[in-house]
Amino acid sequence: MSDMTMPVADNRAEFFRGLRVSVPVLLGFIPFGLLLGSQAGMKGFSPLEIALMTGFNFAGGSEFLVIQLWTWPPAIPLLVALTMLVNSRHVLMGATLAPTMRHLPRRKVLPALALMCDECWALGLDDARKRGGVLSFPFYLGLSVGLYLSWPTSAAIGAVVGPSLGDVTRYGFHMAFPAVFLVMIFGMWTGFRAARPWFVSLVIGALTYLAVPGPWYVPAGALSGLLAAYLWARSE
Amino acid sequence: MIDTTILLVIVLMASVTYMTRIAGYLFLRNRTLSPRLTQVLEAAPGCVLISVIAPDFVSGRPADLIALAITVIAASRLPILPTVVIAVASAAILRQLLG
Repeated sequence: MSDMTMPVADNRAEFFRGLRVSVPVLLGFIPFGLLLGSQAGMKGFSPLEIALMTGFNFAGGSEFLVIQLWTWPPAIPLLVALTMLVNSRHVLMGATLAPTMRHLPRRKVLPALALMCDECWALGLDDARKRGGVLSFPFYLGLSVGLYLSWPTSAAIGAVVGPSLGDVTRYGFHMAFPAVFLVMIFGMWTGFRAARPWFVSLVIGALTYLAVPGPWYVPAGALSGLLAAYLWARSE
Repeated sequence: MIDTTILLVIVLMASVTYMTRIAGYLFLRNRTLSPRLTQVLEAAPGCVLISVIAPDFVSGRPADLIALAITVIAASRLPILPTVVIAVASAAILRQLLG
């Protein structure tokens, strides 16, 4: 197998097939992007700055986290470490996608992986499994490009609107962030058993928050949850 | 205008995130991960996200705690948009009622 297989017309059709599949997911991205952008705007980010962050980083969970924990001056090492931790799932995703990309040269795969998000990974892998375990590269690109473009765009629009909202706690907007985080968490829910480390993180995080000033509750909660996951995991 | 501190954070975030994206492909494609490591990696994002909002669970303000409980229920069964609407509306109403 090699990348000689498909003629150009097929490539185009595959790209548009990917784009079509991405549309419902893309529509789901927009409210997340608007919310992220508006919260970033309230923390003092310009539309351009949040567009750059979402465009270069392109991993929503870590961006919500950085905006939520943002202070002036920001705790840079903490923010970067937490970004790495929250995105560590990409390692697993890349490892499971790799066997479907054996027919592709590295020079194509490495740039394309910059666009890999939870949704295009899941849809791409699902599609590859239906075609004998081989990823259709133009399909993956079509899938990713639509999602990729909608994210910084909606975040920038959110940042334009956000600062004009005024004192957000008065209107209950402070509950929007926990709502987004909870939706993301329930999106990863596979059962109570797998979720037990999250409860450990919640309890330790909350207790640390009450006991220690500053953002230490995040690493304390996250690391205690990881330790719990490690201890609970059955190493068969 | 781009603030240099923000730019620095963006560059660092983008670098570590890109590393997580290519690491699995580059280093793990011909290896099987231990079930233990797999489970830890699967739990990791949830552990971080729930820790970030842990303070909301101990805010000590009844209006916000009730709104949070409503939000948890909404998030467990609804998509993002209705969940956020319910969360914001219940927080606003309960703060009006309970202060």
